Amino acid sequence: MMSAGETLSKALNRLGFYTLMYPEYPSRIRGGDNHVLVVFSKEKHLAPVEKIDLLLAFGKENYERHLGEIREIREIGERKGFEAGEIGITKIAEELGNPLVANTAGLGFIFKVLGFEHQMLEEQIKEEFSGKEEILKLNLEAARRGYEVGEVGGVRGFGEVGGRREVVNYSGNEAMVEGILKAGCGFAAIYPMTPINSILTMLSRSKVTVFRPEDEIAGMLAALGASYAGKRAMVATSGGGFSLMVEGLGMAGMAEIPIVCIVGQRTGPSTGMATFSSQADLNFVINAGQGEFPRIVLAPGDIGECQRLGKEAFYLAEKYQDPVILLTDKYLAESRFSEDERELRISEEQEGQEGQVGLENYERYRFTESGVSPRAFPGQTAFLTNSYEHDERGFSCEEAENRRKMMEKRGRKLVGLSGGFEPHFAKASRGKGFDFNLPMLVGWGSTKEIILDFLKGYPDYNFLHIWRPWPFPKEAVEILKKSKKIVVIEGNYSGQMADIIERFTFRKVKRVLRDDGRPFFKEELEDKLLR
Amino acid sequence: MTAVKNALFKAKIEPKDAVVVYDIGCSANAINFLNVCGVAALHGRSIPFSVGVKMANPNLTVIAQGGEGGVVTEGANHLIHAAQRNDDITVLINNNFVFGLTTGQASAATPKGLKTRSTPEGNPFEPLSAVDLALVSGAGFVARTYVFNVERTADIIYQAICYKGFSLVEIIQPCVVWTKELVKQEGIWVEKPVGNYKELLGKNNVWGILYKKQQLKN
Repeated sequence: MMSAGETLSKALNRLGFYTLMYPEYPSRIRGGDNHVLVVFSKEKHLAPVEKIDLLLAFGKENYERHLGEIREIREIGERKGFEAGEIGITKIAEELGNPLVANTAGLGFIFKVLGFEHQMLEEQIKEEFSGKEEILKLNLEAARRGYEVGEVGGVRGFGEVGGRREVVNYSGNEAMVEGILKAGCGFAAIYPMTPINSILTMLSRSKVTVFRPEDEIAGMLAALGASYAGKRAMVATSGGGFSLMVEGLGMAGMAEIPIVCIVGQRTGPSTGMATFSSQADLNFVINAGQGEFPRIVLAPGDIGECQRLGKEAFYLAEKYQDPVILLTDKYLAESRFSEDERELRISEEQEGQEGQVGLENYERYRFTESGVSPRAFPGQTAFLTNSYEHDERGFSCEEAENRRKMMEKRGRKLVGLSGGFEPHFAKASRGKGFDFNLPMLVGWGSTKEIILDFLKGYPDYNFLHIWRPWPFPKEAVEILKKSKKIVVIEGNYSGQMADIIERFTFRKVKRVLRDDGRPFFKEELEDKLLR
Repeated sequence: MTAVKNALFKAKIEPKDAVVVYDIGCSANAINFLNVCGVAALHGRSIPFSVGVKMANPNLTVIAQGGEGGVVTEGANHLIHAAQRNDDITVLINNNFVFGLTTGQASAATPKGLKTRSTPEGNPFEPLSAVDLALVSGAGFVARTYVFNVERTADIIYQAICYKGFSLVEIIQPCVVWTKELVKQEGIWVEKPVGNYKELLGKNNVWGILYKKQQLKN
């Protein structure tokens, strides 16, 4: 079902549409209510919707379950819901002798009902099955026959194509991997866990050394070992796995070992709803670990940011010799989004890192103004790395003055960090900055596109997208302090970002929350914000 | 520690090319005394850190060192999997049969019946053997030695370091504070490794290089 949604999205991209594909599936390998929602538009920034215009269900049970989601039918005789068996889609697959091509036949059907030429779908299918002649032939035939059956529904007239653009299609994880590869990552330790599994799959096919450890504790420690030995290193997991990594995270803070941790949030607590989304681990990643140590938390909001921050995370980890957490979620990681190709070109691959060489009296933890000490790798000189409190040379040390100075050294590292957010001005201010009398929407991470979609219809709001929740952007605090009304939109039960903002601004904020495993839907957000 | 030093010297490994990853516990204090690339990691986690170091830079000699508390109790999981994968590291276990640093509680390797601070009536469990665990998990080089024989211990560690593939050396090293009664250990030195590792299982009083499989190819 996921791959059918991908094919449909990409075929629509070929027609010049922007697309969003949001999959929902239960925590099992096959069966259950497995569905994808595909939204397409000539405009960018799309949100998932509650009401749909076309339903194609496989099986009576699924048909009944989703029938109520169809948007109101205006014309007599208009039909928007179809069941694959009833319209002959399953029969096509039977005749072709392969039940799997029913999906492709369904895509042909959809393309016809929507009133599109068959050609773009055909091109997309050819791309996907290139090199597999037999299967390609079978799928093309299925699509063609499905297209013929499509007459049944009647053409609905979505046919006005927005002209051909180079629109590319990525899942959040795919975009993230592009960033990771551009960063010159050399080592990834990943224990499988939804929703980061495709990162493991993709990196395993790349030049990155991939380690599938016995557990997340080992994964984190091995990644720290690899980073210490000179590779750019990362782990990827979800909340449960990150729980196991936390002791290692603290070691990264104390021993000053760069590490990038991708945390794909899913619905907790505990095993929770394993294949559903969440934004409830913000407090966790900001506060995880005993004692106090600096860390950076980045929360990309779209595929462009997944790419950019996927790369930047490694740069920041190395620059500050600290852990950097890339906080995504199931919605962003596994949904598919589209963007103009030219918007997604990130800069050149980062060069390999070099440790400090030729240092006499090398001190791994030398006190410096920036708090960052020169870093050497084993093989260059003998030196000590220590998870105990230590002196400049790395020897364990429990003296009070040394401790104070070391805490201050580590504490200095992130003080100068700027940026971390993206301002969107209300339309009325004509790009001249914020009109603080208008309400200020605040989001972080994967709500970005959904809020931008809302703003298309309701432009009289300011919007602050926070892509670096921690350290919380200083400039954002100033902006928020001036805003008359602050509305924080986030996918958790208590309003974790709202709490952070109240703490920094001493202002009461309004909370728009959702915590049922689903992203905000267009209708719901409108309802909650306009009410 | 002297034995480790001698072994590295004999193997002609420069301090900058040797990484010793220490567990947390009594034995980890060696970090402050051995001139190599030393890392004080986390309790039970010296093995996975070492695995990452070796994967990142295979030219380094990597030793994971810890007590039986770290390697056989907290981190036994890592021991099993590193042996299974045949990770090219050397694991040194300083077995003092007890949690020393936390004032003498029973560990997974404490002999049955021993009275400790956490087992006042005597330890009710059979001890877990690092050697046995490593053998059944597929380790290629497994040895046990007695700390008071520094010369032999150094030679065994030297051979373990030179072995390409996973190697484990259990160093029997009773604690002079908490397990005084175990200080005098008697064992039988094995002069030649056995062919079938199953013969070794359950035998805690044999010392020497007990088992050695064919090495990895370069």
